[in-house]
Amino acid sequence: MHEFWSAAIIGVSLGAQYALLALGFTLIFGILGVINFAHGGFYALGGYVAYSAVSGLGLPYPLAVLAAVLVTAALGYVYELFVIERFVDDHLATMMLTLGLYLMISTGLLAVFGPQSPEFSFPVKGSYSIGALRIAKENLVVLAVCGCAIGAIYWLIYRTDLGRALRALADDRQVATTQGMRPRLLFPLAFGLATGLAGLTGALVTPILALSPSAGDPVLVTSFLTVILGGLGSIAGATIAALIVGFIEAYASVYLGGSAGALVLFIMVLVILLARPTGLFGRQIRGA
Amino acid sequence: MLEIRDLQVRYGGITALAGVSIDVRQNETVLLVGANGAGKSSTINAVIGLVRTAGGSIRLDGKELTSIPCERRAREGIGYSPEGRRVFPSMTVAENVLSGAFGMGRRHQRESFDWLVSLFPFLAERASQPAGQLSGGQQQLVAISRAMCAMPRLLLLDEPFLGLAPIWVRQISDAIRQMQARNTTILMTEQMARPALKLATRGYVMRGGEVRRAGSVAEIQDSALAEEYL
Repeated sequence: MHEFWSAAIIGVSLGAQYALLALGFTLIFGILGVINFAHGGFYALGGYVAYSAVSGLGLPYPLAVLAAVLVTAALGYVYELFVIERFVDDHLATMMLTLGLYLMISTGLLAVFGPQSPEFSFPVKGSYSIGALRIAKENLVVLAVCGCAIGAIYWLIYRTDLGRALRALADDRQVATTQGMRPRLLFPLAFGLATGLAGLTGALVTPILALSPSAGDPVLVTSFLTVILGGLGSIAGATIAALIVGFIEAYASVYLGGSAGALVLFIMVLVILLARPTGLFGRQIRGA
Repeated sequence: MLEIRDLQVRYGGITALAGVSIDVRQNETVLLVGANGAGKSSTINAVIGLVRTAGGSIRLDGKELTSIPCERRAREGIGYSPEGRRVFPSMTVAENVLSGAFGMGRRHQRESFDWLVSLFPFLAERASQPAGQLSGGQQQLVAISRAMCAMPRLLLLDEPFLGLAPIWVRQISDAIRQMQARNTTILMTEQMARPALKLATRGYVMRGGEVRRAGSVAEIQDSALAEEYL
């Protein structure tokens, strides 16, 4: 029975990580109409920035995580402002531009840090025991930080003027502009916010899993699957779908073996999309 | 207050406005009348900045608007309610209305919202309902409330009565009268000209991207050209 509860805790922790990644991915799609293929790259970059801050500059881990968020958010902001913004309505161009950015980030990391995974471990060790059930402290820390970040994103999107403006731009950019909302100011902010979330997740998770220049590859696939499952552009859908994906991976790993999680996930997404092509919470998407 | 001179708008090779000149004085409600394709919406869209002008000038209290981007015109005191309502469908009624006063501070937003609720209690009753789920008349009232929320100097209303039942025409007319009572200058377009003429002080009859006749409401109503639209 303790396996069931262990898997549940791992599932919630994984789900929270995926939710952070998926929220960023879906924010960019929902607001800008851009599918960000560089999302996994920002995840890996966040991990390497945190690693460099800890091992190179000797910063404490929390400050290293903050540095990762700031660097990835700033890079996302600048890339949107100077590159994506010029082609924001050209879906094919933005796909190529984000894919190109991903390749630049991953090859840049490979050139600077090499193909080997560096020694980068999570600073909090050990576990809590409740009877036969063991809960790793690192999972709880990641869960707590992800939970706070998700709460902050929801507050920003649903409780502030800025969030209302971003959602208005997502609904009808032209009319939102007539109400004084400035896409040229708000689009880079949204992009930077999303890439900062990917950087945060990378800084939190890569010390537990593994850090490598290609660490973003599976992240991109999982983020993409999660937002498709939740409904492209749906914030609530991305969060709920991320938890579903986290639980599937955790339970499939525990009961079916290591690689079965991804297989079960792909089959489930396929079945759900056959029944609901717009995903669990998706709306009809504007023409691409 | 609003001076439009020799305004030209083209969509590709098609001329939508061919030298339109219109004056709207302080506290006036001016109506643009005309059939589909006459150039009414193009005029409104040029004033709010949704279409690029090919020539001419648009001045608000002497300030040239054509060089100001669309998103900054709201800050010049221009409120806009588009044709076809175009509320933000995934956002609640309250969020839609408040978005009209974006960046004006929580206090201004709260005061404006309370004033609008006192005029239209339905806004409070449906405050947390997604605007996309409302009827056409309700959506139109939300769209006009959104435009009113910033307390603009100049209110642009594009076809506010289009496709509405009589009960909603009366409600929208009341909303416009409330803005008139606050000395708001209004420029509106309408194909359904009879209810709009009751609200207007002057009017322009448009056809083929040109102004064919201008005058008081009585003159517009008497004009042979206007007969086609009334």
